[in-house]
Amino acid sequence: MKLTRRLFLGATTAMALASSAYAQDKGTIYYMVPTLLDEFQTTSVDAIEKFMGEVGYEVVTLNADNKTDLQQSQMADTILLDPEAIVIAPVDFNALVPAIEEARAAGIPVMIFDRQITETMIDFTSVAGTIEIGHVAAGEIKRLLTEKNGSVTGTVLQVLGDPGDPYTLDIQKGFEELMAGEDVEIITHPAMQWEASNAGTIVADELLATPDIDLIFVHAAHLSVAAVASLEAAGKAPGDVMVVSSNGAPVGLDLIRQGWQQVEVEQPLFAQAAALAMFADKIVAGEEIEPGTYDVLGLESTVTIEDWGPNIKIPGAAITPENVDDPTFWGNLQAPDDPITPVE
Amino acid sequence: MTPARRRMLEFLLDNLVWLMLIAVLVIFSLTVPRYFQFGIFANILEQSTYVGVMAIGLAIVIISGNLDLSVESTAALAAMITGLLFASSGIGMGLTLGPSFIAIPLSMLIAMAVGVVIGFINGFFVIKVGMSAFIVTLASFIWVRGLVVAISGGRSAQSLDPAIRVLGVERLFGVPLLAWFAVLCFVIFSLIMAKTPFGRYITLVGGNEVATYRAGIPANKILWMSFVIAGALAGLAGWLLAIRTSGATANLGTGMLFNAFAAVVIGGVSLKGGIGKLPGVYAGVLLIYSIHTAINLMRLPAHWTQVILGLLVLAAVLLDTLKLRLREKLL
Repeated sequence: MKLTRRLFLGATTAMALASSAYAQDKGTIYYMVPTLLDEFQTTSVDAIEKFMGEVGYEVVTLNADNKTDLQQSQMADTILLDPEAIVIAPVDFNALVPAIEEARAAGIPVMIFDRQITETMIDFTSVAGTIEIGHVAAGEIKRLLTEKNGSVTGTVLQVLGDPGDPYTLDIQKGFEELMAGEDVEIITHPAMQWEASNAGTIVADELLATPDIDLIFVHAAHLSVAAVASLEAAGKAPGDVMVVSSNGAPVGLDLIRQGWQQVEVEQPLFAQAAALAMFADKIVAGEEIEPGTYDVLGLESTVTIEDWGPNIKIPGAAITPENVDDPTFWGNLQAPDDPITPVE
Repeated sequence: MTPARRRMLEFLLDNLVWLMLIAVLVIFSLTVPRYFQFGIFANILEQSTYVGVMAIGLAIVIISGNLDLSVESTAALAAMITGLLFASSGIGMGLTLGPSFIAIPLSMLIAMAVGVVIGFINGFFVIKVGMSAFIVTLASFIWVRGLVVAISGGRSAQSLDPAIRVLGVERLFGVPLLAWFAVLCFVIFSLIMAKTPFGRYITLVGGNEVATYRAGIPANKILWMSFVIAGALAGLAGWLLAIRTSGATANLGTGMLFNAFAAVVIGGVSLKGGIGKLPGVYAGVLLIYSIHTAINLMRLPAHWTQVILGLLVLAAVLLDTLKLRLREKLL
């Protein structure tokens, strides 16, 4: 039996993330993760636990299993436990607003991770921006279409995640905003419940209905695996139909290395999690957060004071065959070595 | 009514789901652009494979008078173990074993063994402990999916061994090899159900368990075996799914239980047990995926896809109910 390099890297990263032997004496922070059925989210648990541990907080993670009502119940229970703070990656962007207001009224600061809530005041928000992910994807897709067809023309099959998930709808919004006005036909289908074989089915059907598809834009890397499997089953070779995906998961990076995928839009998971830890002391103490630019794991990130509170935006990046092995991409599963330094 | 007319009517009612399938295919072929082509029909056959194989086991359990809600999670676990062992990227360990022709039967047997174990556990609690099949298999539905997440850590296995993956790429008579597995399973299990004592006992036990027991038929053994078969077939469905997606993700197969149930009901299997034939179930699966494919090709707005599919399934079940009433009235 041969353990692959990937498995080794994954195991060592998990160990590195899990074994942060730092003083955890500042209290407990709860992290509400939306699901554990997705690599981005499972890695976010490890990252938040590690980085918060480095600045002195113990993290307890609660999985909402993609159920809004369960996450609401978890919030209600957690408020009674009086933690130092709550970090939420919401299942539904706005359904948690009453629970967030209740937590803040009880004196518990609330931080938002990855999925932006703008309908109420939040103590701190750390995002790459789902709409911005769509923008980055659109820019790369325009480039790829131009390289292939000489101009921004052609046919793009867009495979969303579950149509009930605002995350995928925001990416779609950002993508279509920037593609508007271009001579590009965009065919859009949802992969129900973010299930990979549904994405494979869509691609298999559309390859017959629209044989001239130039590019497939898939909203998560695990869906692109099934999309590529359908391309292979249809007799396509790598590059015959271009593939772009988002979130930066390891499987997407592997597909780039294999030549099937051209671009993966990275969500800077490690930096998003690290930003929470950098500002945790200030947030827990109720101190003011200064707007400006901050270095978060080497990424220049901008804190602005929005209507919903302090918001740090960390730039996403386009992963291509040229930079796919960059260790700062979370999909390469190499946790940063440098400890987090709290913002003074 | 003359005997000949009665036979004809009975034949039509028995095969109404096939007639519905033909009608749907004709309507879609005439109205949906690019639907009428061999590749689309081959796609429908392939897409029906996983739920189809799963639905055979589910139908057998339901005909025997029980219920198995765990088939979807069992398939997911079998897919994940196949991916873990035989995929080379992500969390896959890239297991390679001597000659490549061994990989297909070995991986299939491992996946089916996973299903057999879960089916055996389900059967134990239902038959030996006397617990409700609904509760036992609901619990399995939850803990088996939890096990998938636990062993994968939420991560994916990708790039299945090409020696196995060949089944997901190659075709026979233009139809993907994977689809032939479903056809073969339906033929084999239809014959078992119709022509063997075991198949007849399943139906008898589902119709009246006490009477069957009094007639000297080992009802408990038959019922337990039905859970084991359902588990094995769910494992097989998971193996096929892993081949199709060239690996496995933690949420692979999510939602397939409901499609399998819909196919079983549309196919004429009574949820009360004792009634049902497997060819009808296959027609039910094909009907669902014909509709699914049409929705894809019609490019309907994303949010409405699920609504339309649900309504069409409801319409199909309503037609099936009407069929039963007509049968009671005329025959």
